[in-house]
Amino acid sequence: METVNLTSNSLSPEMQSNSDRVEKQSPAEKRAACLQQLLEISKTDGVAALSELQAHAAALASELAIPSTRDEDWRFTDLSKIVAAQFVAADGKASVSTDAIAGFVLPEARSSRIVFVDGVYNPELSDLSAADNVTVGNSDALATVSKHVAQLPGSEEVFTTLNTATFADVAVVHVAKKAIAETPLHLLFVSTGSNRISQPRCMVVAEASSQVSLIEDYVSLGSAQGGDGSGFSNAVTEIVVEANAQVEHSLIQREAMGSFHIGKTSVIQAQDSRYTNIAVQIGAALSRHNVETHHQGTQVETNLYGLALVAGEQLADTHSNIQYNHPHCQSDQLYKAIATDKGRSVFSGRVGVPKLAQQTSAAQLNRNLLLSNKARVDTKPQLEIIADDVKCSHGATVSQLEDDQVFYLQSRGIDRDSAQHLLIEAFAAEILLKLPVASLRETLTATVTQRTESAI
Amino acid sequence: MSASVQTLVNQPYKYGFVTDIETVKIPKGLNEEVVRLISAKKEEPEFMLDFRLKAYRKWLTMAEPDWAALGYPEIDYQDIVYYSAPKAQEKKQSLDEVDPALLETFEKLGLPLSEQKRLTNVAVDAVFDSVSIATTFRADLLKHGVVFCSISEAVKEYPELVQKYLGSVVPVGDNYFSALNAAVFSDGSFVYIPKGVKCPMELSTYFRINSADTGQFERTLIIAEDDSQVSYLEGCTAPMFDTNQLHAAVVELVALENADIKYSTVQNWYAGDENGVGGIYNFVTKRGLCKGKNSKISWTQVETGSAITWKYPGCVLVGDNSVGEFYSVALTNNCQEADTGTKMVHVGKNTRSTIISKGISAGRSSNSYRGLVKIGPNAEGARNYSQCDSMLIGDNAAANTFPYIQVQNPGAKVEHEASTSKIGEDQLFYLMQRGISMEDAVSMMISGFCKDVFNQLPMEFAVEADKLLSLKLEGAVG
Amino acid sequence: MGSSEVILSVKGLTASINGTPILKGVDLEVKAGEIHAIMGRNGSGKSTLSKVLAGHPAYEVTGGEVLFHGEDLLELEPEERARKGVFLAFQYPLEIPGVSNLDFLRASYNARRKEQGLEEVDAFDFDDVVEEKLDVVKMDAAFLNRSVNEGFSGGEKKRNEILQMALLEPSLGILDETDSGLDIDALRTVSEGVNQVANENNAMVLITHYQRLLDYIKPGFVHVMYDGRIIKTGGKELALELEEKGYDWIDEKLAAGVA
Repeated sequence: METVNLTSNSLSPEMQSNSDRVEKQSPAEKRAACLQQLLEISKTDGVAALSELQAHAAALASELAIPSTRDEDWRFTDLSKIVAAQFVAADGKASVSTDAIAGFVLPEARSSRIVFVDGVYNPELSDLSAADNVTVGNSDALATVSKHVAQLPGSEEVFTTLNTATFADVAVVHVAKKAIAETPLHLLFVSTGSNRISQPRCMVVAEASSQVSLIEDYVSLGSAQGGDGSGFSNAVTEIVVEANAQVEHSLIQREAMGSFHIGKTSVIQAQDSRYTNIAVQIGAALSRHNVETHHQGTQVETNLYGLALVAGEQLADTHSNIQYNHPHCQSDQLYKAIATDKGRSVFSGRVGVPKLAQQTSAAQLNRNLLLSNKARVDTKPQLEIIADDVKCSHGATVSQLEDDQVFYLQSRGIDRDSAQHLLIEAFAAEILLKLPVASLRETLTATVTQRTESAI
Repeated sequence: MSASVQTLVNQPYKYGFVTDIETVKIPKGLNEEVVRLISAKKEEPEFMLDFRLKAYRKWLTMAEPDWAALGYPEIDYQDIVYYSAPKAQEKKQSLDEVDPALLETFEKLGLPLSEQKRLTNVAVDAVFDSVSIATTFRADLLKHGVVFCSISEAVKEYPELVQKYLGSVVPVGDNYFSALNAAVFSDGSFVYIPKGVKCPMELSTYFRINSADTGQFERTLIIAEDDSQVSYLEGCTAPMFDTNQLHAAVVELVALENADIKYSTVQNWYAGDENGVGGIYNFVTKRGLCKGKNSKISWTQVETGSAITWKYPGCVLVGDNSVGEFYSVALTNNCQEADTGTKMVHVGKNTRSTIISKGISAGRSSNSYRGLVKIGPNAEGARNYSQCDSMLIGDNAAANTFPYIQVQNPGAKVEHEASTSKIGEDQLFYLMQRGISMEDAVSMMISGFCKDVFNQLPMEFAVEADKLLSLKLEGAVG
Repeated sequence: MGSSEVILSVKGLTASINGTPILKGVDLEVKAGEIHAIMGRNGSGKSTLSKVLAGHPAYEVTGGEVLFHGEDLLELEPEERARKGVFLAFQYPLEIPGVSNLDFLRASYNARRKEQGLEEVDAFDFDDVVEEKLDVVKMDAAFLNRSVNEGFSGGEKKRNEILQMALLEPSLGILDETDSGLDIDALRTVSEGVNQVANENNAMVLITHYQRLLDYIKPGFVHVMYDGRIIKTGGKELALELEEKGYDWIDEKLAAGVA
């Protein structure tokens, strides 16, 4: 019996939560205290038009705590590093030069770019001269869309509540009825580091039959620009996709390797609409992406794609949730992760199909590439189905590179290292090629190659 | 037409009778005295009392789990009788001395125990409420060195084996229900297969709950020494009461080098009526330890009964090249709720596991697959393949799939697939257009859906299982 | 031919699905030894007619009568119709996972035999029976061990349908767009299969979109279906005319009040 520890902890993570000793008080208190502290530090004047909403959220947040791994939604992602860390307020006044963000500017969206520094709009760094057929701005542009803020499902979740209670500004994208925004919009959120906590917030409304492509991009200032690699971004984006509208949403999280990032994408879709999310998580020591879409009409299409890359001691966690409510809807999900070094990747995907949602189809696939024996992958694809006339499938795979494939390439004269690089890039490319702009595809592919170097 | 498919799956429970027999019961409730009393009644050695007390004290510190997709009223653990036995429960040397009412009961259940009528190729341990009343072929098996007896007898006759292995796979504090079982278990089966022996016949235990207020807590321990082989089957039924009975069993399997254990279950506890009144609460912990190299443990279950099922037979694959298998068919109807699946924990190198789970949900029932596949850091070359299919009948039933996959070794390969399908109007019409009646069409589709699992059952029982499902599906066409 | 037995007689048949009328008065008489083709554009009611004749539960018959060998067909359950000799080759044959093709064919074959008062055939003898029929559609015996239609290509599914027809020897075969989506080789195989099954004692009704099928199977009667009724009946030349002119000229004729 020496070789295996047969305690409940090692055998049954899903069965431990309540079967252990009744929880000791002090860690729970710590987690509650931490959240209150974050709430206190993050406190801003807020957005005047939303003051009532923000006050309400603050009241709610004062009852909450940082979740523990006993919470089903956080089972594999331990937030004790956040509890232990000391954060300071982001005053939004950190000075950032145009040069400092030059490396993050996308040529394809050079003049359709809005920049927020630590969650606050920076007009000097933004250039919206080429943003066509769309209203883009900060909280001053909220006007007609303010009624949607914090109204989407899931807004009561703890980090979302913290954000709602404390955001200082809001990035607003409003596409009018039938408007087609030809140029991709680049929403660049810059973290300045130095243990600052920021609460980026984004509100997108695509009215009926409109079309838009967004690139939501989280970056940290490099050391040459005064960044020290630390910080905590707690971001929330809400998207309302009205009837027959099409929203393509790329989400890039490439913050500094010492930082924390918790992000939420909440979407509601009306009939005949299509929403596509392409999420790439390669930054932060600990990152979490929650994406949820709720169908509010028939013939809705949802596509969720994602790539997570974890190296060093990074942990990247993706939780997707598609809630069907109507017949004839369809969704496709493909989430991929590459884990190397001591990296940890977590995926949990839920598809809920209630009785009303007949004749729907849902496909979900999670593929993981494990490149080191210290790396770890946890995956939990879930189906919850009540309707009987549906076509649902899900799958998950975890493996290293296929020896046969490497050998095949070698037998064609390609050396082993190059063969491995090629296969890793190909694994990532399936997601990266879905990104709408070439410059991002290239940058991110190069990052994948460079970060997986140690595994080859 | 779907309404008529629905009527097909409604079939009266035919094992719902009660045997009128005088029993000895201890008063309701649980405390340390009750645990001591059970141990004393069974004349157990000191180590068993210690085992029970340790478990009881652990249980007191634990909380009932609530993570499963199950909903049931709170269980009052003080409102349960923890020990009940037919009067004059002393184990008889000869079957002639067993109360005829009991023999009749088992005969009615299709399991005659008497010399003349018993199955010739299957040894049976018959457990009635809390005690084992008879074990057939015991002496014949012993000639091969195979020990097959009740666990109470094993405690007395093979204390060193029991002490060595009891709780070694499922520790007393593993979970709430296993702790409760360890504290109060009353009987169960014990199997020991010595080195190099291939057990000459199928072993089987038949569990019968008879009283309305008694919990059933049985404990099974199977030890297969190096190069041995055994196939074991358990069956379960209970009368129809409008109250719920708690059943919290623990099964531990130990497979040493090159040993092969096949464990099959046909579970048909009373499921409650169409409104969800009555039925068994079935909370079971089953785990096999593939301790030796090249060992193999295979679980096959056909779960059709119980109001609540909470059960995750698993394998801990410690020995290099060891193999774990889980084949399951779970049928839920009316208000039944099942949260069942498996845990495959890969520890050793080149360990392999296969999971095939088929869930059929009808009525307003809920059927969840919950499984864990864990590949440890040293499990180089480990492989897992999981397939979880659900079939829905009618649009009020729920089918959920909750797989948990945890991989810490890059040399491992894990694949999980799941799908849902249905018995739909169009498939039925297609078969009927070829002259096949609706009952036959439904039965063909269900058998086809479950084929991969039924193929794993010992032959005698594969037919039984198919019949059991057919019975559940028999009825008038609306 | 006038003296041949009437196999199918449809008079004033109307039917609807979810309250929407699809068939609006179909008249059709089919005698032994005849091959009929029913043509028409999508939505004209061709497929609905075939499903109503086979007894699909989703359709509600709202009027008219259907006699099969003089017996009221509409009174019968789908499986009873099948056992009495009504065979529908499906436009989209369904996949039945887990049920082997062989078991399925035998269950179906025996159901028909039982109806005919013949002895049921055991698994051993059935192998011989089915072996012989495989040649009709040039199918490999390996198909028999696969699940019904699961993972079959479009052409394989259609051949499997004809195999079933060959096995069951129906007195009325209704082929619902069996030719759609087939490449020329598969079309030829399927057509030859149908020709082998057709004889002077049975009848075939081909529902099709394309004249192409009729190059291989020669119908004696071609019907044009339009808005739930058969509006025109002719010989093989009508099919050619339809192929050449499309269906628009029917619209025009209708508009002109000619049809």
